[in-house]
Amino acid sequence: MAEIAAPIMRMGQDLLITLQPDLDDLSVESIEQEITSEVARILARGVLIDVSGLDVVDSFVARVLARLVRMVRLLGADAAIVGIRPAVAITLVQLGVSMSDVTTALNPEQGMARLREMRADVSAVGHHDIYS
Amino acid sequence: MMDSITDFKVMRLDQAGIVRSWQAGAQQLTRYLPEEIIGKSVELFYTAEDIANGLVETDLRAAAKAGRHETQGWRVAKDGTQFWAYVVFTVVRDQAGGVRGYVMAVRDLTGRLEEEQALRSVEQMVNSITDCEVIQFDPDGIVGSWNPGAEKLTGYAPVEVIRKHISMFYTAEDIRAGLLEREMAAAVRDGSVGAEGWRIRKDGTRYWANFVLSPIREGQGEVKGYVKVGRDLTEQREQERLAKQQRDEILELSTPVIKVWDKVLILPLIGTLDSGRAARLTESLLERIAADEAEVVILDISGVPGIDSGVAQHLLETVEAARLMGTESIISGVRPDTAQAMVHLGIELGGLRSRSSLKDALQLALRLVGNRTEFAKGGVGGG
Repeated sequence: MAEIAAPIMRMGQDLLITLQPDLDDLSVESIEQEITSEVARILARGVLIDVSGLDVVDSFVARVLARLVRMVRLLGADAAIVGIRPAVAITLVQLGVSMSDVTTALNPEQGMARLREMRADVSAVGHHDIYS
Repeated sequence: MMDSITDFKVMRLDQAGIVRSWQAGAQQLTRYLPEEIIGKSVELFYTAEDIANGLVETDLRAAAKAGRHETQGWRVAKDGTQFWAYVVFTVVRDQAGGVRGYVMAVRDLTGRLEEEQALRSVEQMVNSITDCEVIQFDPDGIVGSWNPGAEKLTGYAPVEVIRKHISMFYTAEDIRAGLLEREMAAAVRDGSVGAEGWRIRKDGTRYWANFVLSPIREGQGEVKGYVKVGRDLTEQREQERLAKQQRDEILELSTPVIKVWDKVLILPLIGTLDSGRAARLTESLLERIAADEAEVVILDISGVPGIDSGVAQHLLETVEAARLMGTESIISGVRPDTAQAMVHLGIELGGLRSRSSLKDALQLALRLVGNRTEFAKGGVGGG
């Protein structure tokens, strides 16, 4: 679990993954493996991907982020990307990477609130327990 | 030695100045054939004016008196063309010491004279340049020449600078950084180097110099010095700096971001948006979002006279970038003509919410923030 490429922190049924700079194909692969197996293992309900450590995001990293979100969703959890920096946000828009269906938030706290919000919407229809 | 001899055309004169012998070289220079000149007076080579002034007698008498006489002047060839001659008369004496004749050696310096005149005119030109410094220095950096422009620019008179090292105009840190050596090396490598930088005047003040440094080569080979032509651009630089500062200030003023509520920002847009302003706007808004942890941003465009597709694109990019940071945008103050234009231009609003007035937009913003706060509180309470 103490993977240098992306430390994963567990908070109840939620996971916080902090991405480190200098991602490459190899580290991305191990991150994908760890996140998916961890989500499945603890039956996580929400995953926050913290990118505040990234000063630069190119289209490669943007694709990696979109892929991580899709994998988490396929495993039945919600995902949010948090901590996108102003310069990174501008770059992503200019690259044409909209990530329009991905939940975003300024920081992990706000991200956690968003995840709860999403669960509340679902619970209004009648399923899960809202707060763990 | 041989070269210097062959440069001279030699002829012999008798004591009366009559040509007695004649070399092939002299023939080339004056174009007279031996039979045309031998037995004639040396006057043939003098201009009418010089003859009238008695120069022939003067030259011969001076030679007879001193044994040797050097002179320079215009002489005439057979076809009437003139050449600038360096002439040496040497007396030939008989055993009794009387003058038997003269050896006259003539050298054509016409080319040299033109060269000297050219050099002099270059010097005059350099000296007449008063708004540029033209400095020459040797490979060790010792100043060799100094024009009035350099004096005016730096305040140093020639006597204070010539034979001193060129580094006296450089700042201490530039000298430590080896800037002068780098400039000289670059000039030699590339044929010349142009650069700008701070230099020091005599009174210790700095000036912003824009200059070109070129090596002076001996023929194709060895570098025997450098010439530097420079201008003082301090004023221009200061003006540019002020202009940029004013531009920045205007941009800053034209993109104010106001925090109206906890986690709610308003960006009131006033005036025409160009791409420079729009980029600046995006930047300052996103920075404020990060600093204030804003969750909702209201873009009020009621003060924008018209929206074209470029500006709309910028606005939507700003909204998109804000969303990536987790911040929702509300647009307010869209005017009827703007709404028509945006739809006609095919601009998609996506999930962007719009409210007719700033008041309605603020209400919506507070509701959005309020909801979130409740969830956050609920989360803490329940966890």
